[in-house]
Amino acid sequence: MGQSRPLTFAVPKGRILEEALPVMARAGIVPEAAFHDKGNRALSFASDDGATRIIRVRAFDVATFVAFGAAQAGIVGSDVIEEFDYSELYAPVDLAIGHCRLSVAEPREGQGADDLSARASHLRIATKYPNIASRWFERRGIQAECVKLNGAMELAPSLGLSGRIVDLVSSGRTLAENGLVETDRIMEVSARLIVNRAALKTDPRVAKLVDRFRALVPVAEPA
Amino acid sequence: MIDPADLLPEGLEDRLPHSAAAATRVERAVLDLLDAHGYDRVRPPLVEFEPAMMRRMTGMHTRHMFRFVDPASLRMLALRSDMTPQVGRIAATGLADRPRPLRLCYAGQVARMVGDMLDPRRENLQLGAELIGSDGVAAAGELVELAIAALEAAGATGISVDFTLPDSVDLLAAEQSLDQATTQAIRRELDSKDAGALVAAGGEAFVPLLYASGPFDHAIARLAEFDTGAILASRIEGLRQVAARVGGRARLTLDPAERHGFGYQSWFGFTLYADGVRGALGRGGSYQIAGTDDAATGFSLYPDELVERLGAAEIRRDCLFLPLGHDPAAGASARHEGWRAISALTADDDAAALGCTHVLAEGAIRPL
Repeated sequence: MGQSRPLTFAVPKGRILEEALPVMARAGIVPEAAFHDKGNRALSFASDDGATRIIRVRAFDVATFVAFGAAQAGIVGSDVIEEFDYSELYAPVDLAIGHCRLSVAEPREGQGADDLSARASHLRIATKYPNIASRWFERRGIQAECVKLNGAMELAPSLGLSGRIVDLVSSGRTLAENGLVETDRIMEVSARLIVNRAALKTDPRVAKLVDRFRALVPVAEPA
Repeated sequence: MIDPADLLPEGLEDRLPHSAAAATRVERAVLDLLDAHGYDRVRPPLVEFEPAMMRRMTGMHTRHMFRFVDPASLRMLALRSDMTPQVGRIAATGLADRPRPLRLCYAGQVARMVGDMLDPRRENLQLGAELIGSDGVAAAGELVELAIAALEAAGATGISVDFTLPDSVDLLAAEQSLDQATTQAIRRELDSKDAGALVAAGGEAFVPLLYASGPFDHAIARLAEFDTGAILASRIEGLRQVAARVGGRARLTLDPAERHGFGYQSWFGFTLYADGVRGALGRGGSYQIAGTDDAATGFSLYPDELVERLGAAEIRRDCLFLPLGHDPAAGASARHEGWRAISALTADDDAAALGCTHVLAEGAIRPL
């Protein structure tokens, strides 16, 4: 891996980014001014010190870029890491930002009619996370038929597309406004620093980057 | 326009002359090197009975192999996805009576049923060497040294070796009498190097393993500090000796809890990387051949990514054009001197269009 080339660091558009920027700054990654310019359509930005190239892509694509080694490191929610389960990804640091949860929700009025205790062996689920959802239901002896949607999951039950949804929940307001209630929590989600496995082992700059982020977030490191 | 009926299935490709030449050169260079170190080549078949493909290696699965029913025996056959178990079978059967240590090498195509998004390739070239009859430090050192030399011979640069202790997590878990579910959860979090989740899974005692990774000297010192019960002491000492043997020839790193691709290895494993090649180029380690008393150490290279890179950089070789009616003795002597020479088929043959750089004219070789 050419040491002279800048490291590529992938960050997700949207929810996590606002919280991630200050953490990145403390770890020494400050994007150039153009990054904050709303009118700028560029997707790739230099860092202030030129040592890093920052790319802004969709959250799911952050994981793919890093797993492939096209970016050496990045920040993404643990929901995305879990959904892909890429063997090439390491998630060495929990950044303790972007907290929310991945939950099962269903229509308020339909509750109890076929709740999970008196359930059928088949359920139709609308979700952005077909892998996590089917694994979770599988462990409960239910075959989940997942309908993959990319947004507005909350509409699916009322329009008859699926009986339940699996989606990210933070305050629960969106669910409530769409007549849904949260029935089960699948996982707690927070943003992680992710790095490519081969890059960590072959490029010393990646290990240093991990150390810088680790220093920001105290974990149970032994004395 | 290519007729869609001529398309190859996903993950399979033709190697055209440039990359085929690179692949041939890589294969030949590695096999020559192994031969020079006394490794005898064996050529197992492409297809075997399914159970034979897994029973010699604990942790080996046939799930990802192409499998089908043998019309002759009505038993399941499997297309090989890894040649190591085949070499294990040979050592346990046909060469069971040969004195140990037994040094064997192999080269061939392997296939798997499904590729994935990150690595869609379903067919790979596998080259490797197995030393059967020892899994000690001397064997480990020989194989790591040989693997580095093989990669150098193949044309790889900036070689990096990542050592691991595949059974260390099991040893530590047994020491702490952890149940299987907890051990599994701990392994999963170690795999993703997630310190937070590791603590949550009850693996607080394993967190130091995450910090005992990185450049070898630093990491092994940290691992030794962590190993207060001296459970890993002999392994640490073994690794130090192997590292001392190959130090300076490659960048060395340690990741004691790494187990990606180490399904059947025991105390020792390593992964090979090189500059400009995405992902691992190969791996190796020590293991047991099930059903025998044989311990073994070996490595396998999967050089397809390297071949892609070398193929692109392949330089055009000189080639001599032998016109119609040339002196066959002159042609033969040129080939004997090492020339690559094409004989004209017809009087209209265009030497340049055939890729020739030189021509034989009046008994002399001239540039075109």
